[in-house]
Formats: sequence, structure tokens, C-alpha cells
Amino acid sequence: MLDDVTPKKPVLTMADISIEFPTPRGVVQAVKNLNLTIHKGRRVGFIGESGSGKTTTALSVMQMLAEPGRVSTGTIDLGGTDILALNEEEMRKTRLSRVAYIPQGAMNSLNPIMRIEPQLWDAILAHEPGTPRADLKSRSDAAISSVGLPLHVGQLYPHELSGGMKQRVCIALGIILTPELIIADEPTSALDVVTQRQVMQTLNEIQAKIGSGLILIGHDMGLMAQSVDELAVLKDGELVEHGTVKQIIESPKHPYTQDLISSVPLVGGDSFLNPDKQANAPRRDSTQPLLRFEGVSKKYGAVTALHPMSFTLQGDTPQIISIVGQSGSGKSTMGSIMLGFNPPTTGHVLFEGHDLQRMSGTQSLEFRKNVQAVFQDPYACFNPFYRVNHALKFPFKQFGLSQGDKHTQQAMEEACVAVGLDPDLVLSRYPHQLSGGQRQRLIVARALMLSPKLLIADEPVSMVDASLRASILSNIYDLKDKYGISILYITHDLATAYHVSDYVMVLFKGHVVEAGPPKAVIGDPQHPYTQLLIDSIPWPDLQRAWGHGGANWDPSEQEAQAMKVGAVYRGDVEGFDLVRA
Amino acid sequence: MTEATNTPLTRAEKRQARRIRRFDNPWRNPKLIWGIGLLLGIILLGIIGRILWNLDLVFTGSATLKLPPVGFENLRRQEGVWDYPLGTDGSGRDILALIIIGAPNSLFVGLLASLIGMSTGIFLGFTAGFVGGRVDDVIRVISDVMITIPPLLILVVFQSSFGDVSLTLMALLIAGFVWQSPTRLIRAQVLSMKQSGYVQMARLSGASTGHIMFREMMPNLVPYLFGSFIANVTTSIVTAVGLEVLGLGPQRIPTLGRTIYEAINAGALIQNLWWWWGIPTLLLAVMFIGLLLINLGLDEVSNPRLRKLS
Repeated sequence: MLDDVTPKKPVLTMADISIEFPTPRGVVQAVKNLNLTIHKGRRVGFIGESGSGKTTTALSVMQMLAEPGRVSTGTIDLGGTDILALNEEEMRKTRLSRVAYIPQGAMNSLNPIMRIEPQLWDAILAHEPGTPRADLKSRSDAAISSVGLPLHVGQLYPHELSGGMKQRVCIALGIILTPELIIADEPTSALDVVTQRQVMQTLNEIQAKIGSGLILIGHDMGLMAQSVDELAVLKDGELVEHGTVKQIIESPKHPYTQDLISSVPLVGGDSFLNPDKQANAPRRDSTQPLLRFEGVSKKYGAVTALHPMSFTLQGDTPQIISIVGQSGSGKSTMGSIMLGFNPPTTGHVLFEGHDLQRMSGTQSLEFRKNVQAVFQDPYACFNPFYRVNHALKFPFKQFGLSQGDKHTQQAMEEACVAVGLDPDLVLSRYPHQLSGGQRQRLIVARALMLSPKLLIADEPVSMVDASLRASILSNIYDLKDKYGISILYITHDLATAYHVSDYVMVLFKGHVVEAGPPKAVIGDPQHPYTQLLIDSIPWPDLQRAWGHGGANWDPSEQEAQAMKVGAVYRGDVEGFDLVRA
Repeated sequence: MTEATNTPLTRAEKRQARRIRRFDNPWRNPKLIWGIGLLLGIILLGIIGRILWNLDLVFTGSATLKLPPVGFENLRRQEGVWDYPLGTDGSGRDILALIIIGAPNSLFVGLLASLIGMSTGIFLGFTAGFVGGRVDDVIRVISDVMITIPPLLILVVFQSSFGDVSLTLMALLIAGFVWQSPTRLIRAQVLSMKQSGYVQMARLSGASTGHIMFREMMPNLVPYLFGSFIANVTTSIVTAVGLEVLGLGPQRIPTLGRTIYEAINAGALIQNLWWWWGIPTLLLAVMFIGLLLINLGLDEVSNPRLRKLS
């Protein structure tokens, strides 16, 4: 199958591997008869949804399966050593020195009370006791500089580093003993696109330098396309497709792979939405604009999260306004100010002419009824104590929309059907029995049931599996299209903003740097910061390479430039006025 | 993950599955069951004893002095008799009657003090966490200061000035020293829960503060409250017994602590009257082991990571 691979001795051979977990309801097969070979210097991506067995497979190579999981059949051969035959002490010596694991959210795996340098030394000393101090020092310095960090980082504590820097320290820790195989489990899932691109470049460079094999686990087809040589697609514990990235992206054979590829939205590509008809906005009794920011700013101590901003959203025609930016750009702060959870430091937020911070009890209830939200984390949004229908039933009754229990039940069922859920299957379950995607749809169904005038969607799909993102976004889009709800869509994902929105604002360090219709702002960015964001998106397209900035791509220069350039306004849409600063 | 395979199970696998079923139903926890069993035993001792035994034997001089339990001899070579199966004390009181009345009394003081302390703690903890600001500062400072004061010291002073106290008053006094840690615990939980998604959802749903506190947050606090309650019962009993052994506390009502105090006072240790102080101590030990097991069991119920598969 892989005829372009040079016939070298493979680093890792997994033959007929099955992994099972005994549970109360019998034995669950997490991985079924998996065969895979990784050659020296090759980068192999494991892609699949959560629960597809990709992390489990990788952990079995380290003999680090969570209890009570076990490898039931097959052999794992790491450069001539039978991993499954090793005892605990031999395995300990193998870990890190021959196979290194960079865990998910590695930024939290550093010891918070130790400086970076001794943590690197610990790794060496655990395998080569008695290494002289001078030797330790030179090796840790070499590791730190090899991941592109300045040497003084060794003297710092983890909390003094940014997320991207911590991730690179973890990479340094992984490669310090030059292992034969590196396993990186979603190493960039907690980072924003710009940092993600930097970290992936570091990882790839260093892997090429020490010539080890690399397993990259992830669910983002774009990231895979930009960083690996071979792809292994896993579904329900089975390897459904394996081949070079080129083969898989250009001619995927398995329908699941095709789904994964087509679920990644592209800027300028075909839309995944079908805007068939435009609903009218719900009739409003007030002539005042729906939402109005008057010089709103927010300071946390000395840090300014949001610089003064003014805009008016009329709300007479339903619109989706996107607010785009990296983490720390102030976009979520904006969201919580709009919901009245967070009072602005200066200025006023007016909902239909009433100041959010000075509302009477009835006005406040009216505001809550008309402004709803979808949050980022679908796992936290349900009270674990109640069945999920509590989250739908309670507000419906609270806002006086219910005409009796039968009516409530009927409304819940209709809302579920509208977002593509089977009400009989989900409504009477407990939150932990549902997947993240199902929960997020229920939250959308909740918004639909309450039919607010304005919905604030704060990163609604960033924690959902990639394959479900498009369908949940189209559910949200339907709220505008079929039910006439205006939406403020807060996201870091420019590709989805491009498709769903009528107007886009790009935020950078609390300032609007570029604003206008999405075709102009995202399709043809003018501001250096918007350009930087677009450049950092990993495209699932081999022609459109990530690395056109070369190996020494450095975003700090572009960011510095972005600080100097003023805001660029690219045109207006009716019903939304952003006051130009 | 995939669905379970349908192949028939071997005997070893069946045993494993049974173990796992026990794992799956957390309330079938052996520690919890044993703990509850031990405490129920003490309560049953109180109830059945009141029905079957002659409680007038707790009065001074109702029996021969210093008789040993059945099957033992005391220093005067007197044998134990079935009329007083656990022996008698230095003033002729039947030990069995003493513990039938005394053991439930000690448990009662612990439960009541803990109940009052917990209620105060829940109220103050929720108020501090929810209202915040000045109110939070005041509650936090008071509870932090109170936590540093050794309760026994203050209680000794209080009780000696009160003279004879009733069991309820004693429980009230002890409750004044067990509300601080639940207050701090609940305040911390409320602060973190206030930021959680479901509380924000409830606020979006226009829920009142009362609804958020008692309908959204409280149910999720139950494991913490249970654990804290049991720990407080233990602390309260230790405090109560400590006071009684010093000769404070209720003077006319038999308690386990008071029995031990009298035994020590009458020189039971030198006279080898081990049943006089030994049996109440044993009962206290049973009580504490029971409470400890309940606490460990509840810990495992509310925290599945502690549950073992084997």
C-alpha cells in the first residue's frame, strides 16, 4: 500500500493489536485488530473522533493504558523490542528514552513549583543516574534552544511562560533523550491558531533533526494535512483507512474519511449552509435598537481587556455579527458584558433603550427572555444532578411561555427535532450519558424554544468534534434563517465566520482592527493582523501550504506591525453601525 | 467505544463482572455498610436494652459493688453473676444499664451538635460565597478566627461556669465550634460553582438567587455535606467525651465519658476494675470506627476514582 516508503527497519510495528476494557456491561473493545508500521523519520497522524481509540492505541505503546484496560491480542515491536514482554522496570527505562509521550494539554504537566531546567535534568537523571552537572546543563541548554526558546527560560517557573512556550518546553522534555518514537497527543488543542502553527513547526523541525518517528494524534484534518506524511483514520477502534496524506486527502476511499475532509469549512469554498429563505425578525414593540454599546470598555486591574467601543444593532432584520480574535483579544469579555454578567468599566450597554446595569426586576426578566446564549463548554452547561430536560423545561416555565406540562413537553420535543435530535432518546437522559455534540445541540434547542431576539454564541463549536461542527453551526444558522433570531457569533475560527456571518469584526488586544462584510474582511484581508490569522489556519489542502513563510516563520514581526496600523473599515451592512474610532 | 461483544463468559470473567457490578452500584460499598451497621448496633443496643433490661440499675447502690463481668473474677475473688452480666462499678451501678443509656446519649450529643453546626455552616457558607463583598469578608474573618481557638479550652471555662448542663445545651455549646470548617468548605464550593456553566445557564433562565442556591447548587454539594457532617459528628463526640472525662458536662445523666471519668476518679486502673473504664472505651472505639468507615465509604461513593475494582 505504501510503496513510496524506503525499506528501512521500522521504528514501530503494531501487529493485530486489540485493546479491551472490562466494564459492567461486558468487555468493551476499544481497539480492534489494528496493524500499523511506522518507519524512521516518518510522521504519522492518527485522526478520528473522540472515543475512536486513537489515544488508547498510542498509550498501549507506552504500556500506560488506564486501568482496567489491557492489550488482549497482538504484538507491539519498538525497534526490535517486544514492548508487551517488558516488565515494569524495563518499561520505565524505555519510556522517554526510546518512546516519548507529549500528552494532551501538556501545558499542565509541568511541575508548578520547579524551574524548567531541573525538570529537564530530572528526565535525564531518571535514565542516566550520576550524569555530571556540567553535562546536564549543556544538554538541557541544547534541548531548550532546539525548540526555539531563549536559554533564560530554564531559570523560569512554568507560570511565567505562555501556553505556547510551555508546550515547547514539553517538546524539549520529550526529545531530550532522543527517543526513537515521539507520540504527541493533540499537542496544540489548547492553543490558538497562531501559536498552534509555531508549535507544530517546532515539533516537526526537531523530529526531522533527530530522525525519530512521530505519531500525531488529532481530529483536525487541516492540521494533519499540514504536518504529517501518513494518515491513519480510526473509527470505533478500527483502522478504516491508512495511506499517505496525499492519497487520503485527494482520493479518500472510506466514506468516514470523506466526511472528515468535507466537514472542514474553507474560506471561499462551498458553503455548508443552505440559506433557502429569510425569516423576518420577531415583531418588536420597541422602536429602540435591540442592542447598543456606548463607549463600553473593560479593565481588569491594570490590564485593558476591551478598549472603548460603540455600536448599534438595530435588530429589525435578523443578522449574524461575528467577533473574531485570538485568545486574550477581549471577545469573550464582550460576550459576558452583553449578557450583563460582567459590568463594563466605562460606558453603557443598552437593550431596547434600557441600561443593563440599571434594570428593574421585570425589565431584567424581559431582557433574559430575549437575550440567550450558547457557551463554549457543552459539558459544563448541564447540572449533573438533573436530567437534561431540566435545562429546557425550567426557563420555558420561568419566562411564562408554558401553557401546562403537555405544552412544555411538546415544545421540547419540537425543538429537539428541529436541531436533529430524537427527543425520546435524549430528553430523559442525564448529561453524562450524552456526547458533547448532543449536549451542544440541546443548548441550541433550548435557545430555539425560548425564541429570544438575540443569541450570543461564544465559541459554540470549539469543543465539539470536527465532524459535528458543520451540522451544529447550521443548526445555529437556522435560528437566524428560519426563526429570525439575531446572533452575535464569537469565535477564533475565521473559516466558519466567513460562511455564517453578515458582518465581521476582528478584535486584536481589545481594539477592532478590521470590520466589514466577511467576503471583504476574511476573503481579502487588508490589516496585517487579519492576514496573520488567515495565514495561521491549517488548510486541509496540500497545495495551500502552511509553510509559505518558511521554517523561520515568526508571527511577532507581523504582530508588531499590526500594532502600528490603525483599524481598517471595509464597508457597512444595514442594521449594524460600528462607530469608527 | 463499541458495544459489548456477546461471547459467553468464562467463570473468571463472571466473577470479574460481579465485582464490577458492585463497582457500578456505589451504595453497595462494604465500608459504608459496615460503618452504618456498627452505628445501628449502638442505637439498637439503646432501644432493645430499654425494652429488655431493668434501667433502675443505673442508680447508685442498686447492686453489689465492683462485680466483674460474667466469667471473670475480681481481686476479691468474687465471680461475675448473670444479674449484672457486664459487672458493676464502684458505687454499685450496673455497667450494662449504664451503657444502654450512656452510649446513645453520647451519639445524640454528637449528631445534634453536628446538625446545628452544619446548618449554620450551610447558611453562612452560601451567604458568603453568593453575596460576596463585605459580608463575605466578615464571615470569613470570623470563621478563620474561630478555627484558631482551641474549643476544649473555651468549653472548659464555659461548662465550669454553667455547672450542670443538659445534653442539648452541651450539644449547642459544641456546635459553636464545628460550624467553621463547613462554612469554609461550602463557601469555596459555591465560589467555584458560581462560575460553572450550569449556574450561568440558570441565570440566563432568569432563575432567582434562591433557586440557584438550593435547586442548582445544593444537590451537587450533597456528597461534601455528608462527608463534612460525619466528620463533624466525630469531632463533636470527641469534644463531648473530652469534657466529660474531665468531669464537666451533664452531672446526673449517664454518658460514656462520665463513666470513664468516675472510673478514673475511683482508682479503677489500680484496682484492676478494667470493665468499668474498658467497656465504655470499647463502645467509643466502635462508634469512631463506624463513623470513620461511613466517611471512607461516602468518599468512595462520591469519588469513583477511589473505588477499587478488585
